[in-house]
Amino acid sequence: MKRILNLAAVSLLVTCTAHAQSYPSEAVTLVVPYGPGGASDLAGRALAESAREFLGEPITVSNQSGAGGMSGARAVSESEPDGYTLLLARVGMALSPAVNANSSVDWDEYTFLGSLEATPMILAVAEDSPYESVEELLEGVESNPGAMAYAASGATAIDGFTVQTLLSDAGMDPLSAATLVPFRGGGALATALLGGHVDFLAIAAGSLMPHIESGDMRPLMVYAPERMDSLPDVPTAEELGYELAGQVVGWSALYGPPNLPEEVVTTWEDVLEEVAESDSWLSRAEDRGSISTIGSVDMTSYAQEQYEFYRNLAEEFGYLE
Amino acid sequence: MLNDLLIAFQAVATIENFLIMAAGIWGGVIIGAIPGMTGTMAVTLALPFTFYMQPIPSILLLVALYKGSTYGGSVSAILIKTPGTASAACTTLDGYPLARQGKAGKALNMALYSSCTGDFISNISLIFIAAPLALLALRIGPPEYFMLMVFALTMVSGVSGRSLILGLVSACLGLLLATVGEDMYGSFRFDLTMDMRGGLAVAPVLIGLFAIPELLKIVVFRNTDTQKAMQLGDNRVTREEFRRSLKSMLKGSMIGVIMGAIPGIGPSAAAFSSYGEAQRSSKNGENFGKGEVEGIAASESANNGCCGSTMIPLLALGVPGDVITGVMLGAFMIHGMTPGPMLFETNLHEVYMLFIGMLFSSVLLFGAGKATMRFFSHISRIPPGLMAPIVLILCLFGIFSISNSMYDVIVLLAMGVFGFFMFLLAIPAAPFLIAFILGPMLEENLRRALAISRGDPSILISSPITWLFASLAVFAIVITIRQQLKKAKS
Amino acid sequence: MGITRGVMVTVLFGIVLFVMIPIYVPRPSFIPGFAPPPDMWPRVVSILGMVLGLLLLGLSLSKTTEAIADPDAASEIRGDTPLGTLLVRFGFAVLAFAVFVVAVELLGFLLACILLLGAVLVLTGYWRHKWISLSVAVALPLLLYLFFSSALNTRFPAGTLLRALGL
Repeated sequence: MKRILNLAAVSLLVTCTAHAQSYPSEAVTLVVPYGPGGASDLAGRALAESAREFLGEPITVSNQSGAGGMSGARAVSESEPDGYTLLLARVGMALSPAVNANSSVDWDEYTFLGSLEATPMILAVAEDSPYESVEELLEGVESNPGAMAYAASGATAIDGFTVQTLLSDAGMDPLSAATLVPFRGGGALATALLGGHVDFLAIAAGSLMPHIESGDMRPLMVYAPERMDSLPDVPTAEELGYELAGQVVGWSALYGPPNLPEEVVTTWEDVLEEVAESDSWLSRAEDRGSISTIGSVDMTSYAQEQYEFYRNLAEEFGYLE
Repeated sequence: MLNDLLIAFQAVATIENFLIMAAGIWGGVIIGAIPGMTGTMAVTLALPFTFYMQPIPSILLLVALYKGSTYGGSVSAILIKTPGTASAACTTLDGYPLARQGKAGKALNMALYSSCTGDFISNISLIFIAAPLALLALRIGPPEYFMLMVFALTMVSGVSGRSLILGLVSACLGLLLATVGEDMYGSFRFDLTMDMRGGLAVAPVLIGLFAIPELLKIVVFRNTDTQKAMQLGDNRVTREEFRRSLKSMLKGSMIGVIMGAIPGIGPSAAAFSSYGEAQRSSKNGENFGKGEVEGIAASESANNGCCGSTMIPLLALGVPGDVITGVMLGAFMIHGMTPGPMLFETNLHEVYMLFIGMLFSSVLLFGAGKATMRFFSHISRIPPGLMAPIVLILCLFGIFSISNSMYDVIVLLAMGVFGFFMFLLAIPAAPFLIAFILGPMLEENLRRALAISRGDPSILISSPITWLFASLAVFAIVITIRQQLKKAKS
Repeated sequence: MGITRGVMVTVLFGIVLFVMIPIYVPRPSFIPGFAPPPDMWPRVVSILGMVLGLLLLGLSLSKTTEAIADPDAASEIRGDTPLGTLLVRFGFAVLAFAVFVVAVELLGFLLACILLLGAVLVLTGYWRHKWISLSVAVALPLLLYLFFSSALNTRFPAGTLLRALGL
């Protein structure tokens, strides 16, 4: 009896190790924690397409939206750490635990496989707005306290922090100087500005570029490390000297559940290295208006920096009780 | 413009494109007809394939899948009382009674005729009045949305069955359950478990509410007739039936076109509104809910009437109105085209090709519907004692695969038991569903409007459009109360 | 029936209003004062629900007004089967659902579905046709499993019990 058990244990061990050595031996699921069609979904699909050739196995994109992206994040964080369930992480994965007292997943309950891209955000007004620059807009906000409205995904969402940090930098109360009107999704946000239902907004570039190109919206400032190629005349927040707003930027990264085996981590390091050079990844990133950051950022420390940045903001703005 | 359309016609009329569209429509009908599998799923699944296709065929494939699944949803709604998609929920109300009477074929035919009519009218409006409709859509801000939703909610009275009070109780339950999950400002409501932070998805709630109680009814009451198959008899839509439904069909198509053009409203609300309007204005209003073909005509023309016009905000404004058009936006961008005002200048030829292709797809929808109908109608010959368990398993697989989570499966089963309790208390299920779908739009737009006005409620009646919707709602409520009083007297 | 229903509806909305909302619907500090807070809407709806419940209750007390609340005689759907039998059948159905959810954890999605389908076929009374039932119960989940995992790449939960046994 004992021998049989031993045999079973050994064979189990053998199959397990054999399994680990041959990673990947089946399709990998990439969870996108937001709905199909959005910026994060496109990033996930672009990664899946570019990486499959270097990984040698197909990558299936699965959209698990809900709870501001945390439903999908939690599903991955709690999944089996076998390397077959990975997460397309967004800034929300660091932001949400920073601003919620009891978040479902903490910022570090993952294995950080690497950063993917930075997605710029744009501060814009409608084409018929009287404001031609950020200073004018801020003066307008200051002279009618609370009367100006801006659209965002929520008070504690990244596109809410874009405006709140700017207001804070200008010495105003981020919560009451202008009125936040929450909308769901980039399309609805853009429509709110186009239809004149709000006065300004600062959201992901992808949702605004078509309207900026058609002349229906006027870009005032870019939230990105450097100016966008397609908008060379629009200054960045950093250039204009806004300290907090200059640090707000959207990004995507590749996460896995905690304690991924060493082999999976190295496999993905190699794969991402090759993806960074591949034409399909770079051209898709350009189409979306984002900048590839693969290999240029140490993801673990970056995620921590981001978490602490938003944690401080939330405390400063009085969002945490 | 006509010349441009002709050139586009030549470009799009290839065997290859036809095959792609036919496959899309057919696949959509089948996926839509399987309970638990939705049009969103079909479109999302097809997206990776479109990466390797030409831009226009790939968009046409997605559109074809969307249209096919919108019609396909009515097939299971009629045959097994399980709407394949949320927008077919209204079709259940008259379709299933017809199927029980052995007139499944008639109901399916009526659904097909009205789907194709709505679809065609919608495509025509997309081609010729996209620009004014897009402008209208932009004018609809939070207060206007709110009033429109109030008007759509007056439909609750129409699907309440015999008691308005019980209908309203059902609607309140739906409104309450819709608040579970993330609040619009970013906090969470009713998060008893971490999973509940994601809220309750429409698909498990819808299917749980309609399909599972049917199973429980068979299990608990074991009526002898549930062991017998339904007879297939009356298959044709008579000329007289078609003529009397025509008005509702055309009105439904228009309601579909307008509601589809406004981002975020979608085919379910259009179908509910059209059904309510038809019931109010029809001479056969009394028969609605008991197996009236006109009810099917109203709801099916409206939900397919959305299919074309939902492309208007996408193409003209670059704004996707729902998940499906969101996926299409992704497909456009992958092929280097950016929907929005510039699209008509930079890619006019492609836009016209798309228009022409969509017109063809209405015809293909008719063919695919006719071809699959004969096959599907055999389903109603499977005795319910076997069919209901099969439907349960289909739903479990379908719902699980939407989000890969057992949470949705648990929601499905729990909603089923809840729906059975509602049935025992004679609380109708349809008002629950309307309120569940419209509830978030109603609440969020009310709160948005009040945020913009800084708490001043007069914003809700500040524009001509709000006046229009508000008076329509008041009109509908007055009529309902008069009808109820008349009924109570007699 | 009418009175019970009125009481049930009132109590249900009452629990939501007085117990659930204060605990589970927080008012976060990042919402400005003039904007309606997250608990506004649930409160309005549950107050409305309670009023409707009381209305149902009130109308059911009098014979003449009962028709407005519910023109249906609700007992007619029940037939003449004794209540006890109905409750037992209902209990079994709910039990089957609960066992299914647990079984997915232990036995995996496929096996749990086969068991559930078998159980439900027994409950609907279709089990008389033994061979049809048995083949459907095995074949249908198997086919769906193969379809979803190959065509859609769905990863169904594998049972912990089976994995522990090394399968």
